[in-house]
Amino acid sequence: MDRNGRPNHIEDYLITVRTGQWFSWSNTKNKIYANLIVLDGGSKPTESEVTTGLSTLQTAWDLEHDSYRSKRRKAYDTLPNQLDLLWHAIDADSDLKVKFSAFYNSIKAVKDANPKP
Amino acid sequence: MTSKLIVNSLRHTGASADAITMDASGNVTFPGNATCSGTPSGFGGITMADIWRVTAQFNSNAGYTYLTSNWERADTGNSGQIGTGMTESSGVFTYPSTGVYLVQYGAWGNTNSSSAHTVGINIQSTVDNGSNYTFVAGRYFSIPNISTYNYGGGTCQHIFDVTDVSTHKSRMVTYSSSSVTWEASTSGNNVYVSFIRLGDT
Repeated sequence: MDRNGRPNHIEDYLITVRTGQWFSWSNTKNKIYANLIVLDGGSKPTESEVTTGLSTLQTAWDLEHDSYRSKRRKAYDTLPNQLDLLWHAIDADSDLKVKFSAFYNSIKAVKDANPKP
Repeated sequence: MTSKLIVNSLRHTGASADAITMDASGNVTFPGNATCSGTPSGFGGITMADIWRVTAQFNSNAGYTYLTSNWERADTGNSGQIGTGMTESSGVFTYPSTGVYLVQYGAWGNTNSSSAHTVGINIQSTVDNGSNYTFVAGRYFSIPNISTYNYGGGTCQHIFDVTDVSTHKSRMVTYSSSSVTWEASTSGNNVYVSFIRLGDT
């Protein structure tokens, strides 16, 4: 795969076929299908299966990286910071302090026990 | 005609202490610093250094994977080697001579849109030519699910006293609690082990 994690070589598909070191290359500097060797006695995927498999992985990767879920995941702040925002929002509202008292008070107890210097 | 200088020590005319002393057993001591302008040999420097790597990616899932295949001596990036290197057969490394060796094993991998709570690498050694292997070094870590591809890796070290090259050998292992792709490569040392002979046994 490339530096972004996008599959870009048939090896990226081969590792999804079986676990362990089930394949090798007769020429490690030229990892093409013709040089693919099966080590574990299992079946060798056809060249068509391999190229189609890589293409499927790439399509799935592209879809995922163009999705709203992926974009949101990258844009969100860290979970601790999101929780801190939530706690401070509750802290600023007396009604919410009552509604979410279990959540609010459990965190407040830690803050009170360990005050900022 | 052969000349022979028989003395117990050598000292500069302006010095107050000996620069070289010799005892009756033939031992020579340099109490101060010693500088050699040429290439020293036989003074206990590193006589063997070698690095190997796995050339093809592989996937591990819920168990140990003994790295029995696809090892090659690193041969890119102007890789260097000192002395007679290791030999490898089915993932078992044999040492070229007796001695104390530093074994350094490193690997990294990724998970695809998932986490792997327990991921590890181990060095195992045998002193009975493979009848029994002992876990001698390890590095465990977690790969959290924070992106589409999540990466993690580690290194571990063992100093192995190889007193018999026919019986003292090493092998490398990975472990993962769930699916992990190990980023082995033939163009870089991603899943690798290096061996450096530190000195005599």
